[in-house]
Amino acid sequence: MHHETTIAKEALLRLDKANRVFRMGEVDVRALVEVDLTITKGEFLVVVGPSGSGKSTLLNLIGGTDRPTGGRVWHGNRELSSLTDDALTEYRRSVVGFIFQFYNLVPSLTAHENVQVATELVDDALDPQEALEMVDLADRADHFPAQLSGGEQQRVAIARALAKRPELLLADEPTGALDLPTARSVLDILQRLNRDQGITVVLITHNPAIAGIGGRVVRLVSGRVAETRVNEHPIAATDVAW
Amino acid sequence: MRVLHRKLIRDLIASAGVLLSVIAIIAIGTGSFVGLGSTQRILEASQAGYYRDYRFADFWVDVKKAPLAAVERIAEFPEITSLDTRVVFDVILDLEGEVKPLTGRLISTPARGFDQTLNGICLIRGSGFSDDRSEEVILSEAFAAAHGLEIGDRIKLILNRKRESFVIVGTAISPEYVYMVRGPGDLIPDPKHFGVLYVKDEYARDVLDFKDACNQVVGRVAPWAQGDIDILLDRVDRVLAPFGVLEITPRRRQASHRFLSDEITGLAVTAGIMPAIFLGVAALVLNIVMIRLTQRQRAIIGTLKALGYSNRSVMSHYLLFGVLVGVIGGLAGGAMGVGLAHVMIVMYEEFFQFPRFLVSYHTDLWAVGIAISVLFAVVGTVRGVLEVLRLHPAEAMRQKPPERGGSIFIERLPWLWRRLGFRTHMALRSVFRNRTRTATAITATALASAITFMALAMYDSFAFLVDYQFEAVAHSDVDIGMRDEASTLALFESRELPGVDYAESVLGVRCDLRHGRQARRMMITGLSADHRLTTPMDADFRPIRIPNDGLVLSRKLAAVLDVRVGDRLELTPVRGRRETKQVRVASIVETFLGMDCYADIRYLSRMVGESLAVNSVQLDVDPRETPRLYARIKQTPNARGLGVRADAKRNIEETLVETSVFSIGLMVVFAGVIAFGSTLNNALIEIGDRMRELSTLRVLGYRPGQIAGILFRQSLVTFSIGLLLAFPLGYAMIYLISAAYDSELYRLPVIVRSPIVAYTVGLALTFVLVAQWIVHRQIQKLDWLEGVNVKE
Ligand SMILES: Nc1ncnc2c1ncn2[C@@H]1O[C@H](COP(=O)(O)OP(=O)(O)OP(=O)(O)O)[C@@H](O)[C@H]1O
Ligand SMILES: [Mg+2]
Repeated sequence: MHHETTIAKEALLRLDKANRVFRMGEVDVRALVEVDLTITKGEFLVVVGPSGSGKSTLLNLIGGTDRPTGGRVWHGNRELSSLTDDALTEYRRSVVGFIFQFYNLVPSLTAHENVQVATELVDDALDPQEALEMVDLADRADHFPAQLSGGEQQRVAIARALAKRPELLLADEPTGALDLPTARSVLDILQRLNRDQGITVVLITHNPAIAGIGGRVVRLVSGRVAETRVNEHPIAATDVAW
Repeated sequence: MRVLHRKLIRDLIASAGVLLSVIAIIAIGTGSFVGLGSTQRILEASQAGYYRDYRFADFWVDVKKAPLAAVERIAEFPEITSLDTRVVFDVILDLEGEVKPLTGRLISTPARGFDQTLNGICLIRGSGFSDDRSEEVILSEAFAAAHGLEIGDRIKLILNRKRESFVIVGTAISPEYVYMVRGPGDLIPDPKHFGVLYVKDEYARDVLDFKDACNQVVGRVAPWAQGDIDILLDRVDRVLAPFGVLEITPRRRQASHRFLSDEITGLAVTAGIMPAIFLGVAALVLNIVMIRLTQRQRAIIGTLKALGYSNRSVMSHYLLFGVLVGVIGGLAGGAMGVGLAHVMIVMYEEFFQFPRFLVSYHTDLWAVGIAISVLFAVVGTVRGVLEVLRLHPAEAMRQKPPERGGSIFIERLPWLWRRLGFRTHMALRSVFRNRTRTATAITATALASAITFMALAMYDSFAFLVDYQFEAVAHSDVDIGMRDEASTLALFESRELPGVDYAESVLGVRCDLRHGRQARRMMITGLSADHRLTTPMDADFRPIRIPNDGLVLSRKLAAVLDVRVGDRLELTPVRGRRETKQVRVASIVETFLGMDCYADIRYLSRMVGESLAVNSVQLDVDPRETPRLYARIKQTPNARGLGVRADAKRNIEETLVETSVFSIGLMVVFAGVIAFGSTLNNALIEIGDRMRELSTLRVLGYRPGQIAGILFRQSLVTFSIGLLLAFPLGYAMIYLISAAYDSELYRLPVIVRSPIVAYTVGLALTFVLVAQWIVHRQIQKLDWLEGVNVKE
């Protein structure tokens, strides 16, 4: 047992023949089929695949916002798929930081307050101002989402996610609605958080150009893992181009 | 959670329009509940307190003249705890500067301790009787106020054929005349033409020849004997019968008491029904609003959950939202209720004279009002939030699937559907797909319009009642009651009175009518064979002629006695030899005030052993001659009372207008707020829900008015259906109310005339249009650029 802790690539999350079927009236939509996947601590994993291939579904299973209809999802030696709702909430609270394609900020709260929504949940959170500084938005703390550009809103969302000091950052198409320079700066933040603070990042994109920044790339097709590729030399987010 | 509180406050402010409209509706519900409930309790407490403090009697016995020695025998009954004797005398008053002779009721009272007797009087102004002179009078306050009479003024009247002049030494009120009417036939107090005068006992007995005698006995009955009071009063009747018992009145039939108690009962019914309707609608609307407002936060709830908020903390956050809305609504309603109670008490002060109203704050009513309001706000919130919490957070963050997407039934009529524009399509789809919301809007419109309809129809039926009683049935200008029974001579004499064009003699005889176990003591009105000044009418409003023999009963009296045309009754005149005779019910007539019983005057005279007796005359008068006529009546010792039809009619009309404008206005305003509030509410929710859709139309180049038109079409659909339902519903309400008010004192005719329908539609339409105007403004202000970019 002792030797395992010394292994560099320690497993953070593991999907074991995970299935997710959505019942839509008469038809079953098989969003994920028998997915086996291990995510190691500190890695930067990129998930690519065509629209509807199950990327978001996979992320939701990992993030504890959804449950598999078959198979298991492990966090360390805890089986997420069998946790109670309360325990799952606790998992989301202490382990996961979510970043959404459409930011999902609370419109009636300022940038600072939106970060506070997360920091009030955990004891050792960052100061919201500090988190905003990390995404270069300290001076926009008092603005409401409607007064921020898309890229700025996404940075607030990142600040909100990282302020909880999560082990795991999950980003679902965080740059999907952004232009190239804005996208670069957002990706750069994620890359630095992964590199400097060792936060595990799972990034979803259907943009192959972005895939290059990950250490490993998983490609989903029709709910199955079609390919896993290790990127020996990830490119810098600032060099992404399309 | 602190930052979420901030969100809560901002969300509340952001939905201010929707919330204000729903809070207004709740406030109407809880406000009418608290207001009507408090008013009823205040009246009840004031009545009980007054009766207790001033020893309101349990029964009255009117006799021709009973020696005090005979009364002593009654006082010995163990059931009777106290007994007072007095002299009561109706007189004609002659006021300085008043052309008309007025009717007064003289009541004798001890010079000292007049507030200690049964039916003690409560001095309002002045210092009461002095030892200086005998001719002192304490006047009923309302009468004095109506005529601007002050302490020290003089008032003249004819007593026992002598003109006497009294000094006013005080004004007062009494529990006997909380509602100051002459008797059960009167509907509304008329302090301009009727007043009560309290004079010193010794003096009254002296002047009126009642030494050691009285003509009225009042008493109180021990609590344990209250249940058998009728048996007790029968025994009293037997003891006093030799002295000519005219009338025995238990408290439950005393006019003032009955009007007051009926009012309290009516108020209790109203306080039970109206707020229930208002609260019901409020609860429905509130429920829907809270469900919508929370579901609109679906994505936020999903995000909060993804961030790690637990179901419990999300729920308690939104619960706070519901509780806050509920409490604000409840408090607003409570405050409104206190205001309403205050206004109603001010109105009641005009009709009911109390030393003071026992006003208190009924916190339990507040609590119930707030609790109901909070309950429904919370139930709506919980339902809305639970629906989202049931989902996985991932699901909640996805866009909500469209509501039931199937085609609506009109789409299956292609020839019609194609003719309608796409905006009508949008409106109709929304109406049919949001079933609960549509049902609530229809319910609110239906109830609000039904209440408006009912209120207006009630006003109309009062107007009908007044016209019927004072124009269609009664035609005489002046009625004069005479003290001593006169023969036909009186009629010829009265024809000689100045200004009299035509006169008819009338005989009123108090009789006991009995049919099986049902009995009533009634004044039977004997009309002459060719009566022209009174036209009794049947249920279809066709004139009825008084037959040569038999009785004509009003519908209510027939119902009370349980008789039909052709049935036989036992009739016993309460005078003379009191011979019981069998009489036939000849026909039944419709009256709405009191209860009437007519017979031919000669037939009635024979009942009391005379060929023709007369004790009042009805006159048709030339209006130019009335001052001279009045002057003559003032000089006539034989006149004991005077009724002027025009005055009575005007008094009722004026009072009705005043009170109806208030109570009907109040109901219409309440109903209006509900109709207006729910229409507005619906439209605002719709705008919020369809922000993106409506904004897109704006971007495409539609003008705000055209977009408001979609919502207007929707309102119009629910409004029309609601209005259609309102009329049968309103008619049912009118029917119920008329049944609830069907008493021996008065009945409400159920009539619905077409202008009322038009007014109702007009009022309802006005409220809906005002709501629509606000919607239009709202759409003009819509930040549609943001709307297109809304990300949920
Ligand atoms: N809540 C749901 N109900 C029904 N079907 C769903 C639901 N969520 C996902 N699906 C279906 O599951 C499949 C996978 O969806 P998912 O959102 O994971 O795809 P994706 O790879 O993220 O696509 P995109 O790149 O467009 O975001 C799709 O066919 C989708 O329609
Ligand atoms: Mg996706």
